[in-house]
Amino acid sequence: MHKLYTFLKYSFVALWTMFVVAPFLWALSTSFKDFQSVTSKVTYIPWVDFKPTLEGWRVLVKSPARGGVDIIEPYFNSIFVTCAASAISIILGTLAAYALSRFTFKAGFVRNNDITFFFISQRIMPPIVLSIPFFIFLSTIGLLDSLLGLVVVYIVLLMPIAVWIMVDFFNRVPKELDETALIDGCNPYQAFYKVVLPNSIPGLIVAGMFCIIFGWIDFFFAFILTFTEVQLLPVKVVALNSSVTPWWSLSASALVSVAPLIIVAFIVERYLSKGNLSGALK
Amino acid sequence: MNFKHKYVFLFPGLFVLIGILIFPIVFTVRLSLSGWNSYNPELNFIGLDNYVRLFTEDPRFWEAFFRLTFLSVTTVILQYIIGFALALMVWRDIKFKRFFRVMFLIPMMTTPVIMTVIWRTFFHESLGPVNDLLSVFGVAPKWLTDPALAKITVIIVEVWQWTPFMFLLLLAGLLSLPKEPFLAAAIDGAGPIRKFVYVTFPLMAPISIGAIIIRLIEASKIMDTVFVLTSGGPGTSTETSTFYIFIRGLREFQMGYAATLSFTYLIIMIISLTIIAKVLTKLMIKD
Amino acid sequence: MNLIADNLTYKPDEQFHLNDVSFNFKKGNLYTILGRTLSGKTTLLKTIAGLLNPDSGLLKFEEKNFGKIPVWERNVAMVYQQFINYPHLNVYENISFPLKQRKISNDEIKENVNESLKTVGLIGFENRKIQELSGGQQQRVALARSLAKKAKILLLDEPLVNLDYKLREQLREEFKKIFSQGISEETILIYSTTDPQEVMELNGEVIVLDEGKVLQMGPAKEIFENPKNLQVAEVSNDPPMNIIKGSKVSEKIKFENINIDVPNHFSKLDNKNYNFGIRASEIKLDNNGQEFEVELAEISGSETLLHLKRGSTKVISLIEEVMNFKIHEKVKVKFNENKFYAFDENENLVSSPYGVLNG
Repeated sequence: MHKLYTFLKYSFVALWTMFVVAPFLWALSTSFKDFQSVTSKVTYIPWVDFKPTLEGWRVLVKSPARGGVDIIEPYFNSIFVTCAASAISIILGTLAAYALSRFTFKAGFVRNNDITFFFISQRIMPPIVLSIPFFIFLSTIGLLDSLLGLVVVYIVLLMPIAVWIMVDFFNRVPKELDETALIDGCNPYQAFYKVVLPNSIPGLIVAGMFCIIFGWIDFFFAFILTFTEVQLLPVKVVALNSSVTPWWSLSASALVSVAPLIIVAFIVERYLSKGNLSGALK
Repeated sequence: MNFKHKYVFLFPGLFVLIGILIFPIVFTVRLSLSGWNSYNPELNFIGLDNYVRLFTEDPRFWEAFFRLTFLSVTTVILQYIIGFALALMVWRDIKFKRFFRVMFLIPMMTTPVIMTVIWRTFFHESLGPVNDLLSVFGVAPKWLTDPALAKITVIIVEVWQWTPFMFLLLLAGLLSLPKEPFLAAAIDGAGPIRKFVYVTFPLMAPISIGAIIIRLIEASKIMDTVFVLTSGGPGTSTETSTFYIFIRGLREFQMGYAATLSFTYLIIMIISLTIIAKVLTKLMIKD
Repeated sequence: MNLIADNLTYKPDEQFHLNDVSFNFKKGNLYTILGRTLSGKTTLLKTIAGLLNPDSGLLKFEEKNFGKIPVWERNVAMVYQQFINYPHLNVYENISFPLKQRKISNDEIKENVNESLKTVGLIGFENRKIQELSGGQQQRVALARSLAKKAKILLLDEPLVNLDYKLREQLREEFKKIFSQGISEETILIYSTTDPQEVMELNGEVIVLDEGKVLQMGPAKEIFENPKNLQVAEVSNDPPMNIIKGSKVSEKIKFENINIDVPNHFSKLDNKNYNFGIRASEIKLDNNGQEFEVELAEISGSETLLHLKRGSTKVISLIEEVMNFKIHEKVKVKFNENKFYAFDENENLVSSPYGVLNG
């Protein structure tokens, strides 16, 4: 019985792993193909099924003037917008989360929990609802098709995540620690900065990772609010999809675009195994 | 504790958020009361005409909403079951535990749109590997062109993309469970099934509910996948509410009406998700 | 340098956390606050520290209105019952933290820290991480940090309650020594606890608190010998003082068909109904005594607490060895009549073995 269970366990895990890897392998293989290999019949393994070429990859580094796909600039744009918006969201969000965890707010019938709910419920907001007014708003103040405009919009996306994670985390740090800092002569700002913050690193890392993930993968806002001046990675790749771009450069671009966050997967797993994550995510 | 300093902590974030939000929301409401479209791009006032149109002459919106509910509920349930199973399997005793954990996390780290671009080639009906392999059995399903199958394709892609998220939350939850109940169960001679039903699952109830709620909120915004994979098609078979609003607003430029759809959709989502969250939380407390 | 409180009241919800509390604490003294859980001890300490603001009443220190001075400017120090130290700092950094806040020179800091480490017996631990320390050591670090500050008011909120029995006894002895020798004459020491024995051992001025109200204030000996009323008698004894409803009839104490000769200190009492009080340690097994039925026998350390019943009267007897009893067993006990207290129908003390108090 136990053997059956183990067999099933490993089969399931193996199957799912294959499912996870399938699209990557396909894209990798396709990136080395050319017109023949794609259209005559379906091919899989280089050198066995077809003759591999580096055309798909060469195109990434060729400049657009010579028929290349410029992926460098969108890459850096994405990095900039994601990091800037994440940083601002985490800073403002953590401060707000600390206030909501430690202090009591009362304005009419609005209490702490209501304010926290307000922050977190922003995630319910479908991007479409914000995109039309943002489109008009940003064009009015001239921030359409700009990095800054995008950063501003992303803050709405990411601050709720920071607040959600940090409020939960701070609630788990004993209030007595803050109190001792106050008694030891710190005003509330110093208590936060010198005592609470150094002990909140795991929470900040989790919040940071989620912000970066959700910022990096956004497509919709970048699509609606930018055109030519500024292009983010996801938009660029999708644009390639719509035009008559061959599958091989498409696959190569796609692979290059998703590579960075795979590193994040390693980081997340390390923290998970170390047990720091469990506390922060509950 | 109550110091004046608390406002300095809270207000920057709160005001920035409200500031960035206020204009869109207010503007959307105002827009919904106007007849802005590509012929008359002006902010006139037509009262509740748009809303009347929505509720009496626009079954397409409600069909889209129904489709969205179907898609999001199905994907979340699948993600929960698979995610939980995966989490249980890499929780303790298994070879290459860390390798599998990283593997299972990877899809979530990828940009959905970009992966969907790859999926399009993957499910291509004549040049894609799926149908190539299935041709051995003599079938070549029309993944992207058959209305019913298109939904399945969307579900497959969504499950691939977001099961890791469930997996992560549930695994983190499992890792934080106290050891004692499991020791007690082992002493009582409970087998794996009993252990799961009577110890693991009940202990994981609060985390499960949290994870489901969060995933449901995110799933209700399905957009990227549909946009790239099927463009809402074939026909309208994979058209979700958000996609329909997108068509009306940013393809046909019926901004006024799109704003009406947006606002109504937002209210519906806030109310229903809040109710679901509260119901699930009460269910959990009763246990 | 007095800490004066006038009518402090704090009622954040349905209960009074502080109910009209007033006191006058003088420097160089140890004040122990005795009360059950939720009696308001922690609230009082937090109010003195500045973490809570009372709804009404005045708190003055050194002639200044404390209420207007925020926590971080008051010269107080506090040791919590949960071992609170800064987890991200080592022992030396923990103790020097408040001193660095005050921008004292590094040399002076070093001197202070070393002195405190010596007082709590932790020399050599400077570089250890907090997580490496045992509970008792962590609490000593917390105390050292409070001592290093040389604060004018030192607050301790049930500091020993989370330690095991042996450690608690050991640290209590050390605390006594530290309190008498290691603290400056300028400091006001305020120590809260639920344990009456601890209060007696520390032997300071006692404030008995219950439901936010000050029940009685006086030297430890006074609280022990002359509890003002039933509530105080209950709170300040462990096991609680036995209260027996009975009456004095001529020269006898009467209850449950038992007659006991009145002690000398009852001679001036009227013949009427009283709540008689007697400590568990003054009821002994004796074959010439009165018959009671055993309800429960609790073994506590090396003693046995015998819960006895007779009619509608229940008492606890403290036996100084471990003995086994069967439920419903009948035993005979004798009351030491010279240790009887008498409380009138309003629950106030009218006669005590240690000299009559109260009128």
